[in-house]
Amino acid sequence: MDFKIIPSTCSYCGTGCGVLFQVMDGRLIDTLPMKTHPVNEGKLCIKGWNLHEHVVSDKRLTSPMLKINGQLQEASWDDAIQTTADKLKAIIEAHGPDSVGVLASAKITNEENYLVQKFARAVIGTNNVDHCARL
Amino acid sequence: MQEQVREWLEQGKVDIFLGYKKIQGHPLPHCFTKDNLDETDDLIAGKARYSLEKMATKIAAEHPELKIGLLVRDCNQRALNVLYVWNQLKPDNIETLSVNCCPSKLKEHGDCSYLEPEKAAPLKMMIGIDNNMDVKTAEEFSQEDRYNRWMYELQKCLKCYGCRDICPVCFCKECSLEHKDLIATGSIPPEIPIFHLVRAVHMGGRCIDCGLCEDACPVDISLRLLYRKVNDIVSDVFDYKTGTSADQSPFNMLGEEVTLEPKPI
Repeated sequence: MDFKIIPSTCSYCGTGCGVLFQVMDGRLIDTLPMKTHPVNEGKLCIKGWNLHEHVVSDKRLTSPMLKINGQLQEASWDDAIQTTADKLKAIIEAHGPDSVGVLASAKITNEENYLVQKFARAVIGTNNVDHCARL
Repeated sequence: MQEQVREWLEQGKVDIFLGYKKIQGHPLPHCFTKDNLDETDDLIAGKARYSLEKMATKIAAEHPELKIGLLVRDCNQRALNVLYVWNQLKPDNIETLSVNCCPSKLKEHGDCSYLEPEKAAPLKMMIGIDNNMDVKTAEEFSQEDRYNRWMYELQKCLKCYGCRDICPVCFCKECSLEHKDLIATGSIPPEIPIFHLVRAVHMGGRCIDCGLCEDACPVDISLRLLYRKVNDIVSDVFDYKTGTSADQSPFNMLGEEVTLEPKPI
């Protein structure tokens, strides 16, 4: 029997509510709001309350998917990244960098979001960067 | 307190102990085990209240024979009593260590500071229901005023289900609040007042007045007052004191016999 309470931050939006994950025998079973957290003070919205569900969902993708001959197939990270890079290069060459847009995410950290915009501006060469909180 | 828990774990009186530990500066619930005995030095009573008994219920559902120790305040103890009478926990498998209660009108000396609601804001005082009100004062409003005030409170609802999710005595596998024939889906606020009244009715003979629902409510609905009223009725009509009576509440509809019996006048 193994029961743990793991403090974490809600990954749904940019508010950053403190949550507690209840982990039993290595399985994520429930989410609780953190009472002493300065942001949410023991409260959560319905998405936060069900945070554990998307982690343990059967529908969650656990590996990259590549569309080959119209069919989505599981692929390795190397293949997926190489294919994406090749396609992006081809599109930029044919239609220019502004033909690409980058959507950042609220579910990743500040630092990762910084890298996303750096990737868009410095690598691809476009200012078309936006964020899922504005969609 | 720490030594007592260490002793219990060493002697095998309990297999695990649910208490609090300071993690990253926050007093958080923590599961102490005999594999990590030195950790018991970090056991604290913690100012923030979490429903340790709800965690125990979840653990017991998967490990029925496990002996579980718990840090309890009065509210936890009342919740445990309810969970015992509804067969969610076996009293033989639960060992409790009592700590000081929260400061409140009932008890002045306490460790935990989450029981008394904050002073209500002027608008809430004017058109809503002050969380600090008692049942008697809340009933002094005229019927129309009272209705409007409660509807103001209830229309704030975000339907987060936090009140149900945090409730130590909510353990049903299927919840009426999620039944699509009873509660319409797809809009916020949910159907009021029926959404809250369904929950209120289910709290009759169940609610142990711990106040966790009100703590968890993002829009500050005075839920505790509502459930107090429901429980007052259960107490007045059926003489059933939730959390201290040794039987299931008179609203036990599982089984063949009708158990609804008003108290003799």
